[in-house]
Parts: sequence; C-alpha cells; structure tokens
Amino acid sequence: MSMDAQLIEHMMNPKNYGILDDFDAQGIGKNPDNGEKVAISIKVGKDEDAPYIDDIRFQAIGCTTTVVAGSVLTEEAKGLHFKGVGDLVEATLNFLDKLPSEEAACSEMVALAIRAAIDTYQERLVDKDYPVITYKVTHSCVPKEEEK
Amino acid sequence: MKTVMIKTHEAWLEMLMAGFMSKSKNKQILFDFSDILFRHFTWLENELIDIGESYSYDRDAIPIKVERLSDLLHAIVVRLNEIDLQLLSSPDKELAGRITSDIHYMTEVLSHMNDEIITAFNMERKFPGIALTQEATDALTLFLFEETYKEYELILIYNYLKAHSTDAYMNRIFQILIDESFFHLKRFGDMGAKMGILAVPRVVMKELYQVEDVVAFLKDGIDEELAAKEECKKLSEAVGKDSQELARFFDFINHQENYHIALMKDALKHFTGKVHD
Repeated sequence: MSMDAQLIEHMMNPKNYGILDDFDAQGIGKNPDNGEKVAISIKVGKDEDAPYIDDIRFQAIGCTTTVVAGSVLTEEAKGLHFKGVGDLVEATLNFLDKLPSEEAACSEMVALAIRAAIDTYQERLVDKDYPVITYKVTHSCVPKEEEK
Repeated sequence: MKTVMIKTHEAWLEMLMAGFMSKSKNKQILFDFSDILFRHFTWLENELIDIGESYSYDRDAIPIKVERLSDLLHAIVVRLNEIDLQLLSSPDKELAGRITSDIHYMTEVLSHMNDEIITAFNMERKFPGIALTQEATDALTLFLFEETYKEYELILIYNYLKAHSTDAYMNRIFQILIDESFFHLKRFGDMGAKMGILAVPRVVMKELYQVEDVVAFLKDGIDEELAAKEECKKLSEAVGKDSQELARFFDFINHQENYHIALMKDALKHFTGKVHD
C-alpha cells in the first residue's frame, strides 16, 4: 500500500466507524478463509419516494486496509440513492482485478457488505423478520506467492 | 453503572493517549493515571457481572487531536467530573468512594500540569534521529496502525476472559498476557506519536471478546502470534538497512512473542485437560 496524506488520514481517523443506534438494516461481508468480516449499518431516507442512504456506519474484523476501504466507500455511499450505491458497489467490484490480492479481498468485503445492507433493507420491506444478509468474498487475502 | 464503565473506558484511553503525546515528565504520571483508570474499569466490570447486568466494551469515538496538551487534559478533567457525578448514584458506595477519591486527586494534578505543544498528529512520519527510506517508513507506519489496534484488542479479549473466569491458573496467564500487551501498546503508541500518526484504536467488535470457544480462540491465537513474529522479522529487515537500533527493537518484540505462544500453549493444555477431566 503506497501512502499519501489522505490515506494516512483514513488510517488515523476512519470515517463512519461504529454502529448506528437506530439503523434500518445491516449487511455483512465476510472472508470465509480467515474469518475477517465487515458489518454495515444503514439509515435510509426517502427523497421523492426514492430511497437513499441517509447515514451509514461500518465495523470491521480485519486489517488496516479493510478499515481504509470501509472509511472511503462508506463516505462515498453516504447520501447516494440506492441506484447510485449499486453503481458504486459494481464499480468497486469491477476494479478489484487491478489491485493486489490482499487489497482486493478487503475492498470486496466492504462493497459486498454495503450491497448486503441494501438487499436486507429491500427484503425487509416484504418480510420484516428477514435475516441479515451475508455475502462472501471471492478474492483471496493471501498474496499469490504465499499460496504456493 | 454501565454508563460509568463506558465513560471510564473512554477516560482510560484518553489518558493513555495524553501519555503518548507528552514528551516531558508528565508522561509517566499520565501513564500511571491511565493504569489506575484501567483498574477502575475492571472494578466496574466486575460489579456489573456481580449484579448480573449485561454490558459490552462499546464506546464513543474519542477526539484527541489537539495542538496543546492542556486542551486534552481539560477534556479529561471534564470526563472525570462526569464520572464523579454519575458515581453518586452507584449502588456500591464503597467502590464509588474509592474511585471518587482517585478522581479528585487526578483532576487536581491534571489541572496543574505544565503545558506542552503537541506534534503527535503532524503526519511527518519521521522517526527522531533516524532517517528511514520511503519503503521502510511505509512498512513501519502500517505496522504501527495494525499492532496498536491488535494490542488494544488483545487487552480487551484477555480482560473479558479473565473477568468471566474463576480459574486461578487461567487468570494468572490472562493477567500476564494483559501486562505484555500493555507493554507493547505503550511502545507502539509512543512510536506512533513520535512519527506524528497517533490514533485511538478503533472499537473492538463484541464477537471478538465474547469468546464462545476458548480452545479455538487459543489455537487461533497461537497461529496469530506466529504470524506476528513473521511481521516483526519482515519489519526488522525493512528498517535494518537504515537503523540497527530499530531493527534490534523489532527483533526483541519478535522474541517476546515466544512468551505469548508459551503462555497460550500452557493455557490450552490446562483448559483442554480440565475439559476432559
């Protein structure tokens, strides 16, 4: 991870870390290989009937890269309509192959947790007892040379 | 009582951070006070367990970015005064009396401490007296963020396990591991402050310290310690070209992990033996 001032700021003061007291939905992104996970909580607002993320928090069992990814992506997701959040998640997932494997797994975990929170929210409009959705990462956290 | 425990948790960390920031004789006093607040935290936790009230280690974010030490000391005094006020309604009057007595002394001392200009947040990432390459600086930066959080996490995990165990053998091991993690946290926090990248460790998720399977936790813990040894070795190599002093320090930390591994193996043997008896 090459470091600039912005990155170090995210390390020192991760944005949106924690859990919302009055969240509308939660979602989990998980790495089944090593037990690392990201939990997202969202508060949903309505703007001309289109839902948007009014507030968002994340918690992580993971490394500093995961915390930085959580800080950056939640900051970008805040205020977006669900369509925009979907685009953000998709763009992040499409970018993963350009990242080193351990960074890809961390960013994927955060993106999937955001998607899981949105999907949980949508499901709960139909069934209020719908369980919190968990999505598992497909990228490995272990760099390729260490896998050999 | 639950709120008092949370506020005491926050005050403990805030005081510890003030200790990291200080470069004067205030430092040791602030570290000693943070140790006292940690012990208050454990007293309050045990009280909650005794009365059967559920609790967690959740807490609010703690703003510590200041330009002068006096600004943070003022915030700590305000927080301690809040705790003092809340202790008035504590059911355990003896415990409340003991803690209040400490708080009154600490707030008095803090109010008269000499002020200092703080450089712990300048992000310069320069270690005093040592010129590191960009690669070594980045490696050290990442290590300090990872490990200050990890040591804080371990303190909370071992503390929770200890609070919920009546096994004297295990509790001796947990206490040594807490002490070891405190030593490492203080060294890494000090280094973070010197590098201008001091930060409060993030809140630890409940499922990490509310351990359901102690055997699995200990086995995973041994693997994590072995991985930590590797990280120390890599870092020692990364900084060794520029500073033998830093390399020797990380070799020392690497070898210290052997104590943790031995203690966790000992705990595993004792615990599995007891389960099978």
